[in-house]
Amino acid sequence: MAKKTAEARTGEWAARWADIKYTFYLLRKNPLVMAGSIIAIFFVVLALLANFIVDPNLANPSGYPDFDGNYPFERKLVWNRDSIISWPGRIHLYEGPEQFLLGTDSWGRDLFKMIILALPVDMENAFIITVGAAAFGTLIGALAGYAGGVVDEAVLRITDIFLAFPALVLALVFAAMFGRTLSTLRYALLLVWWPPYVRLMRGQILGEKEKGYVEALRALGGGHIGILFRHILPNSIYPILVQATLDFGGVILTFSALMFLGFSPSPSLPELGNLAASGYEHIFEAPWLIVFPGLTMLIIALAFNLVGDGLRDVLDPKLRR
Amino acid sequence: MEDLLIVKDLKTWFPIKSGIIQRTVGNVKAVDGISFTVRKGETFGLVGESGSGKTTAARSIMRLIEPTEGEIHFNGINVTIAKGGNLRKLRRRMQIIFQDPYASLDPRQTVNSMLVEAMKIHGVTKSRNESHERALKLLNKVGLSEEHLYRFPHEFSGGQRQRIAVARVLTLNPDFLILDEPTSFLDVSVQASVLNLLKDLQKDFDLTYLFISHNLAVVHHMSKRVAVMYLGRLMEVAERDAIYDSPKHPYTYHLMAAIPVPDPEFEKEEVLLTGDVPSPVDIPPGCRFHPRCPYATDKCKKEEPILEEKDEHWVACHYNIDFKSGEKKP
Amino acid sequence: MKERNRVLEIKDLKVNFHTYRGEVKALNGVNLNLYKREILGLVGESGCGKSVTALTVLGLLPENAYIEGGEILFRGEDLLKKSAGDIRLLRADELATVFQDPLTYLNPVLKIETQLVEVFMLDKKLLKQAVIAQKTHGKNVTFTDILSWKNDSVMESTNLKVSRGEVKKMAKDLCVDLLRLVKMPDAERILSQYPFELSGGMRQRAMIAMALARRPSLFIADEITTAVDVTIQAQILHLMRELRDKIDASTIMITHDLSVAAEIADRIAVMYGGNVVEVSSTVEIFRNPLHPYTKMLMKAIPNVKKPVKKLKSIPGTVPEMINPPSGCRFHPRCPFAMDKCKKERPKLLEAVEKHEVACYLIKG
Repeated sequence: MAKKTAEARTGEWAARWADIKYTFYLLRKNPLVMAGSIIAIFFVVLALLANFIVDPNLANPSGYPDFDGNYPFERKLVWNRDSIISWPGRIHLYEGPEQFLLGTDSWGRDLFKMIILALPVDMENAFIITVGAAAFGTLIGALAGYAGGVVDEAVLRITDIFLAFPALVLALVFAAMFGRTLSTLRYALLLVWWPPYVRLMRGQILGEKEKGYVEALRALGGGHIGILFRHILPNSIYPILVQATLDFGGVILTFSALMFLGFSPSPSLPELGNLAASGYEHIFEAPWLIVFPGLTMLIIALAFNLVGDGLRDVLDPKLRR
Repeated sequence: MEDLLIVKDLKTWFPIKSGIIQRTVGNVKAVDGISFTVRKGETFGLVGESGSGKTTAARSIMRLIEPTEGEIHFNGINVTIAKGGNLRKLRRRMQIIFQDPYASLDPRQTVNSMLVEAMKIHGVTKSRNESHERALKLLNKVGLSEEHLYRFPHEFSGGQRQRIAVARVLTLNPDFLILDEPTSFLDVSVQASVLNLLKDLQKDFDLTYLFISHNLAVVHHMSKRVAVMYLGRLMEVAERDAIYDSPKHPYTYHLMAAIPVPDPEFEKEEVLLTGDVPSPVDIPPGCRFHPRCPYATDKCKKEEPILEEKDEHWVACHYNIDFKSGEKKP
Repeated sequence: MKERNRVLEIKDLKVNFHTYRGEVKALNGVNLNLYKREILGLVGESGCGKSVTALTVLGLLPENAYIEGGEILFRGEDLLKKSAGDIRLLRADELATVFQDPLTYLNPVLKIETQLVEVFMLDKKLLKQAVIAQKTHGKNVTFTDILSWKNDSVMESTNLKVSRGEVKKMAKDLCVDLLRLVKMPDAERILSQYPFELSGGMRQRAMIAMALARRPSLFIADEITTAVDVTIQAQILHLMRELRDKIDASTIMITHDLSVAAEIADRIAVMYGGNVVEVSSTVEIFRNPLHPYTKMLMKAIPNVKKPVKKLKSIPGTVPEMINPPSGCRFHPRCPFAMDKCKKERPKLLEAVEKHEVACYLIKG
């Protein structure tokens, strides 16, 4: 008898797995999406392993020159003379035994290693903010859309207030009140990032709850909470997934904008935007300091955008089957 | 035969709101006072064209739309005021099959999940195994097999989806089933098999049906007694043959005359109704059928006729009309 | 000779659709004839290819459709060999269609008058002719008059100048006349309304009017009574019968409802799985259905005049057109299937006089 239940469970999982396999099959058909996915996965893995590949202490500028520009060592901006990448016509300020793949920054840190160390920081940012905003926005949006009436109105108005907030101003306020740390910046961004998800989810729910199967479930005796979370939500989630992947790149870019505006918690923090911001001062002498972090941000954002686009095409129930 | 469902003067109105403060300026009187009873074990047919209100009536009886006025009694229990747990208990016994098989199943749920969920809501079975076995048994009853259990709705045809909907409803072991245009979206051959299935199930499970359709031939095939609805009210209620062969209400008469017959040699008189099917926003005064009725008089324009009974045949008309001669008597 | 009366001849038409799931072999060699002034009922269930056949004749197939073979001879010319531009001209002039859901086929932001007048204004020469005729003879020219001009190309004196205003007015008058012809109640008022203000039956009439405005010789009605109520359906069928006598056109009435076909068609062609499986006069088909599918289909329909206890259902399901059954596409569901049926598709042959069937059981 227990065998039957086990059969049922595996049967159910088998069906779901077949469905997921179909999604991957559809994804595989689009070469751009495939490229995007591979790059995205590559960066995620790299981010996870970053602190093991590169010694995180290298980011710490102690032992490096202080802010007054006094160098304990004779090290300054360097571009590799003997490297395979040659940057034509640039000043070589230092000649030393070490080789730097992408050059050094104003503290003599190896830029390549800094970028790698920056990846987990950025990925973490993006992940926390996207997932957090999506989860919160989705929940509120679902409740608002399903409940309708006063609840819906209230949620919409509150959402509008937050939408009106410019992210930067809020970040400024937060930084002023709570100090300029990574966490406060994250909270600031989280607070402005969730409203679009509310709108998105609410719209989906409004459409979905009018559908026939919802009425059928109510006729069967289903309760509102059960119907909302077990049936309507799973059917409405796909645009949220798409938006979240697109936002991944968006967060990284916004963060870098904040760094440029001086919200950086510490000039030596390995973070793509921060690296670019620090390097901005030397843009004419050492353009590589902005180019490579910027390029990295571009590639990551592009990769996730492609994944998002692909997901949009693949998950849209009208285009499937 | 006892009365299983008693509907008394059911009215479902939808307010029309307008203006900034959303004042109610009028009502869409979708169902405007219908009364009838369905007896245990029979199939009661409800026919009407678009705008007649039959779909709203079905949903009002199921409390999917709240009725504005009137009473519904099911096996002695007052359905209209039932709340919460009582309402849920009623749902075990009164169920509904919807028109569109492509919309009434959650596209992300497997068949197995659907059937088991229904049973879980009402605590029909005590263990997972029991649910699984019951699901399988009912699936077989509707003509599907075990391999269909773990598939998603999009893998099935329209007819199969309707069967799944029926199986789902049967897991609760209901007494009464409202069938709201169950075969309108299905092909002719599929329709035949679904109708046959419904008839078989009625015998096997001792079910009572309220069969709603605009397809008069199908209603004729399935029903024992038939009610004709127009613009929210009943025009005529009688035994099936009485309604189809000797209708008393002019609307019924024209309706029956309009049915296309699959027999080109059948001599049909051309009896045409003028005008269009009206909408329930603007209900004519007096008898609501009078603008299209070829026999309308001044009285018809002012007074609304009541549904009156004579020998188990209810008619709402001021006159007794002989359709062959055109004679009418009050 | 029957052949001189033949308006349309579809020979062995094969049409496929490219979909990401595979090739949908929608039409599998359709053979169909249409004669002058008749109403041909094209009957079949969903997926049988009746709408695809109509779309192919009209040249309105979607991009992923591929005509694999066959001919469509309209007045001796193969429509499939014509360019898109030529077909469009034909559509404007000779081939008219009315589809199932008039709400989606009428422009919602234009008044009925605008849409109808636009159709008339496509042929300014005709309108000018009408104005001249009206002036010369002093009598109002009606739409029925124009209908009879179809086959003569009478050009009255060309010296008379006709202003644009007069042309437009003639178009408008003809519109009113046309609407009255299709029994549109309150024709003048309807002209100034928008499609959403009309009821379903009225919209259907408006569409029929638009189709007739060009005095077509071929009129295709695709499931026009499916979405309307029974009483309106009766009105529309009655209208079609009346029009058939007034306009000199041949009609293909596509429907899944055999009863509707019984009411209105002169001949009936039954389609299944992308083929025509039986063709004959309506009376003959009902009296003596030959193809097993036709026979079973008739037993599956509830007949109010001949009630039965159980309807006969056809075992199995409608064939899936990506991998259709071999040979005769009905063989998996046919109680009389023989080995021959699985191998090669039976041809549509004359079994009894003027009664063609595609079945080895009957002929072949």
